[in-house]
Amino acid sequence: MTEILRSTAFRWAVGIALWSVLFALAIFGFVYWQTAGLLREELAETLRLEIRAVAADPAAAAERVDTWVAVDPHAEHYGGLFGPDGRRRAGNLDAVPAGLHPDGDPYRVGAMVELAQQRIHDEIWAASLALPDGSVAVIGHDSDELDRVQGMTMRALGVGLAPTLALSMVGGLFLAGRARRRLAATEAAMDRVMRGELRTRLPVGTRGDEFDRLAGNVNRMLDRIEGLMGDIRSVGDAVAHDLRTPLTRLRARLERSREQAATVDEFRVAIDHGLAWIDQTLAMVTAVLRIGEMEDERRRAGFGPLALGDLVTDSVELFEPLAEERGIRLTAIADGAPPILGDQDLCAEALANLIDNALKFTPEGGEVRVLATRRAGAGILAVEDTGPGIPPGERDRVFRRFYRAEAARLTPGHGLGLGLVAAIAKLHGATVAVTDAPGGGCRMEIAFPGG
Amino acid sequence: MARLLLIEDDADTAADVLADLRGRGHEVDWAATGPDGAQAARKGAWGAIILDRMLPGLEGLELLQDLRQAGDRTPALVLSALGDVDERIRGLRSGGDDYLAKPFALGELAARIEALLRRPVEAPETVLRLGSLELDLMAGLGRRGGRDLDLLPRELKLLAYLMRRPGQVVTRAMLFEEVWGYRFTPKSNLIDVHVGRLRRKLEAGGEPSLIVNVRGIGFTLSADD
Repeated sequence: MTEILRSTAFRWAVGIALWSVLFALAIFGFVYWQTAGLLREELAETLRLEIRAVAADPAAAAERVDTWVAVDPHAEHYGGLFGPDGRRRAGNLDAVPAGLHPDGDPYRVGAMVELAQQRIHDEIWAASLALPDGSVAVIGHDSDELDRVQGMTMRALGVGLAPTLALSMVGGLFLAGRARRRLAATEAAMDRVMRGELRTRLPVGTRGDEFDRLAGNVNRMLDRIEGLMGDIRSVGDAVAHDLRTPLTRLRARLERSREQAATVDEFRVAIDHGLAWIDQTLAMVTAVLRIGEMEDERRRAGFGPLALGDLVTDSVELFEPLAEERGIRLTAIADGAPPILGDQDLCAEALANLIDNALKFTPEGGEVRVLATRRAGAGILAVEDTGPGIPPGERDRVFRRFYRAEAARLTPGHGLGLGLVAAIAKLHGATVAVTDAPGGGCRMEIAFPGG
Repeated sequence: MARLLLIEDDADTAADVLADLRGRGHEVDWAATGPDGAQAARKGAWGAIILDRMLPGLEGLELLQDLRQAGDRTPALVLSALGDVDERIRGLRSGGDDYLAKPFALGELAARIEALLRRPVEAPETVLRLGSLELDLMAGLGRRGGRDLDLLPRELKLLAYLMRRPGQVVTRAMLFEEVWGYRFTPKSNLIDVHVGRLRRKLEAGGEPSLIVNVRGIGFTLSADD
């Protein structure tokens, strides 16, 4: 129970109940004020008219006062005509009530009245005027009617308030309970996530309210975390695998040469192999560290204006002999790329990785085109080849660390080149994409943000 | 050949470096801590200093800065396990003349030390000559004997770099950094194909080979007479 009392939802329920009560009070107050005001105005007008009629005809004043008092089915009318000496000449009031100004306007005053054969002091509304002969006429009316309206309003308020309060409390508790149940479901799901069940998702309702949006956002965050965890696990597996392979080969080779190598030359061959495998392993470690370095945003310190066209021509010049040696035509197409802000060395490295990759997968007699262009204000670096292409299903994975297409498992490389490209692109706020090249192979593209 | 000072706290690394450099005919002294190294460096008369960045007692770059502030211009090569570009820039800004990330090939270290010791005077000379080779940098023309070499601009730059360091081993990384100006390590044998192409042009007239591959390390250009 204390838990319920502490819950935000319950506090909201109480808040809502209090608010309903205040609202009801305000409405009743307004209604009372309006009704009572209307009645009072009506009464005041009657009194005003009556006293003026009395004063208008001094000769018939006494008669008129008596008539006013007599025409009174509910014993609510009071009146009096008092001579200059203060003696009553007509009516049922003992004396001119104290505090009543003889100006014809109605006032609420206290007076001794005779009611049901009893003399009592009562609050009445009365108006008075002085007559030319010095006498004073008073016309009064019981204030009970107004008081009854007030009492009735108060009773109605009392009768209405309790159910309002109860209803809003019940409603609030119902809402609070529902919110609490939804929270409890969410909490339970969170608990499972915290225990390591990363696949658990929060329940999302169909109402599309704040709760649902929040749960949806948390779910998307969990998707991302799960993805990252998967990446880390697969990177870990891949590193372990890719490090173990050359190290296992190295170990076996060293062991075997120790037993079997008879000549210095045989030892040299074994050692050369060993060195090559170590270099391969080190290159991989370096690449992993470079990617980590790239993911640290501090690398942006080296940013400056950069011409993508020059980058393309320089890179093609660098790779041209290699392409020629492999019988591949390598062309640079620098076509109106806008200047971008970037790190010269890193962009050159990214492009070199893309070209290297394209050359690796393009058969002899094929072509690799390196482009710097503009598209909707964005600077585009692209490398197109006439290789086998990448199946659509594998495209979004190629830029992950260590990913190697099934078909590429047998070619040399550590699968980190494109991961590094993706990391460099990300550092530049650029996006990477794989599509089909016009020539049938694949097109890898880095799109730098415009401006 | 030259007196070298190695300041390196890891005894195994130091032993291999000492053995390698001594094997190449250098006289090498070893200091294992920062303060020892600083003291040895101040005694002076070193051809070059090789120093690790992380040293007990005194950080390598601080040691180097102190040395430079004292007016010592001895060529220094900074070794470091911190390989990234920013660290490299810091190393060079602190007065290092070259920077080599660990782990490194001993041949790479030796070639770089050699390059520091024999740092060519980048004289304003516009015509380089080595044996039968002649290179006119202004005109962009290379000749071997009486034969014109049809060189691309980058090949011209590569040949000039080699001609200024005759008989000296230059590594792939040195060429990639100095001739192409890139700071990353290319994955393919890019430098080899470029050098191979230059070599073919130099030998197109059936002349003997001038550029020799140094196994696992790099290349050497020698005069042909």
